[in-house]
Amino acid sequence: MIPFPLLLKPEEAFRQLTELNRKVVQGIESLSRIRHDEFRVGVTAKEEIYREDNIVLYRYTPMVERPFHVPMLIVYALVNRPYMVDLQEDRSLVRNLLKLGMDVYLIDWGYPTRGDRWLTLDDHINGYINNCVDVVSERHALDQINLLGICQGGTFSLCYSAIYPEKVKNLVTMVAPVDFHVEEGLLNCWTGCAPGQKNIDIDLLVDAFGNIPGEFMNFGFLVLKPFQLSIRKYFELIDILDNKEKLLNFLRMEEWIFDSPDQAGETFRQFIKDFYQDNKLIKGQVKIGTKQVDLRKVIMPVLNVYAEQDHLVPPASSIALERHVGTADYTARSFPVGHIGMYVSGKVQQDLPPLIATWLKARG
Amino acid sequence: MSWNEQADTLVKAFTEAQTKMWESWCDLIRTAPAPTMPSYSGVVDQWREIASQGLKAWTGESEQVVKDLAKQLLSAQDVGMRFFELSLSTWKAMAPKIESGQDWQTVLDSYSAEFRQQFLQAPHGGVAAVESIAELWRLYQEQWQKLGQPWVESLRRTPRHFGQAAMGDGSAPIELMNLYWDTYERTFGRLLESPSLGYSRELNERLLKGFNAWLEFRRASYEYQVVLAETWAKAFEQLNHKLVSVGQAGDKVESLRQLLFLWIDVIEEAFLGVFRTEAYIQLQGRLVDTAMAYRIQEREIVEGFLKVSHVPSRSELDEAYRRIYELGKEVKELKKALQEVKGGRSAHRKVQS
Repeated sequence: MIPFPLLLKPEEAFRQLTELNRKVVQGIESLSRIRHDEFRVGVTAKEEIYREDNIVLYRYTPMVERPFHVPMLIVYALVNRPYMVDLQEDRSLVRNLLKLGMDVYLIDWGYPTRGDRWLTLDDHINGYINNCVDVVSERHALDQINLLGICQGGTFSLCYSAIYPEKVKNLVTMVAPVDFHVEEGLLNCWTGCAPGQKNIDIDLLVDAFGNIPGEFMNFGFLVLKPFQLSIRKYFELIDILDNKEKLLNFLRMEEWIFDSPDQAGETFRQFIKDFYQDNKLIKGQVKIGTKQVDLRKVIMPVLNVYAEQDHLVPPASSIALERHVGTADYTARSFPVGHIGMYVSGKVQQDLPPLIATWLKARG
Repeated sequence: MSWNEQADTLVKAFTEAQTKMWESWCDLIRTAPAPTMPSYSGVVDQWREIASQGLKAWTGESEQVVKDLAKQLLSAQDVGMRFFELSLSTWKAMAPKIESGQDWQTVLDSYSAEFRQQFLQAPHGGVAAVESIAELWRLYQEQWQKLGQPWVESLRRTPRHFGQAAMGDGSAPIELMNLYWDTYERTFGRLLESPSLGYSRELNERLLKGFNAWLEFRRASYEYQVVLAETWAKAFEQLNHKLVSVGQAGDKVESLRQLLFLWIDVIEEAFLGVFRTEAYIQLQGRLVDTAMAYRIQEREIVEGFLKVSHVPSRSELDEAYRRIYELGKEVKELKKALQEVKGGRSAHRKVQS
């Protein structure tokens, strides 16, 4: 006869269940004593440089006496918050770049309100990004600065660099989607990468919601790994409930992951239709306002960093960049982590900032 | 140890552990005296209730992110407990047959079929509801109660008319309209003292469209739930197959945690497999599309009420925002052009001097 599936002594099962409950009860008690000050995010010092509508351009306070002469502007995804690159002191891309002598600026996209519903990609790329680049360039009396685009911000940075190649000295893209029809990506499948598929009607979605709620976006991201992200993750948390430092780290992550701004309706409509559904970026068919995006005009040096286990932006989607850009100086580097791991993995935080800083410094 | 004995002793351990859980959660919310522990079958439901009370009491003053995390934690424990309970009841049901020498594969398959049928029972209830237009109309109107009791009163009298209207009876909408007309007269109509037939007819039409959109959404939602329920059932079946194969391969599952994680891996794989299929993508698309279509119809109805109440509507505000946005953009462009002209002039002056 086949053995009973669970080779566990009853007293052991009893012990495990009561232990599990004890930990949960104690953990919730510990959680209730934690105050927000203990897990603040985005703590690296910064000052406001420029403000336009809801967006703010920040400069992080340099950590060396004479920072690298070409400043870097970070452009992250609209669905995120700026502290994704500055979660905590020992897990901060920004802080590590500052320590390595970089001069770092960042565009905070803010939280779009209903009044921002009509903002388009044109406003974001030809408007906000372009204005911020001009402000930074002017402050440093330079014609060109470095751009670091993350995820959707990477795609925006690519569009920007293709439209204004004269303003970008070097471009770093990080976990940036380029080929949106890579089928390994569940997100790509759902948003309509296969032609003729009956997917979600984006026009209807935007018309109904106005701005796309952050909660709706978050739900979509969670469902990409439903049981890992909704059950297993919290079961694993039980093991660290009695370790306050780890618990605080976990809370910072939770705050970041669930702090998702709404998406400006018209921007979302164009991004999903042109990029995800029609894959126009690699076809040279994207138009931002009146300006055509031709990736062959990305002629500045490009460093493309991607995550090998990325379930949101499959590696193949980022790797495709090499085939479409016009630059002769193209470097691709990968890390053996997932999308989130790129911001929070200790190993990545140890290796990624020096990679970026060294690569930029080598190019003057 | 035999299947029977092992399943029995594990169930006993599970029950004892639940008693402990019950005590610790009662202790947490410091109820005096502690409520009596319910019967075995209802324990998880009641534990969830008491745990949730404890959670509120403890994290009442905490930050939102802490509250959310505590809820997730509790929810994970809840899922785990339910899963253990389900696994134990499965094995307990299978044990006597396996003990009596029946082929485990057949026992498992027949248990799985039964399990699937139970799992799918709830959605079948949904089918019955879909068949009853009157019942659906009642559910639909419940959603509109907050809009104004006088209107809802008239809706309460409409199932028959609506049912007929939905079946294509042209006279029903007229009767329905009369009901609204009466209500309208008693409320906004009197207030406005103006010809209001247009409003009433318009509102009636919007309600009918809203009901159709709501029906479509319910259908899509039902179809979607069926696929999810099927996948749950299949995943549980796959887990049991996997456990048997693990045992046959001489490997061991020695802890509840190991069992739970094995289940999560199996179920995740099962769901992700389904999520990629053309059929699922279509269903999901239909679910979202019908939900959005209903939301738009719902807005139309709300805006009808707002219009007669002199309150600006979502659409009007959106239109105003659009104008502000366009004007703002124009101002930015003009400022930029002005700056360029100024810059050009000063550069020209510099060259001249």
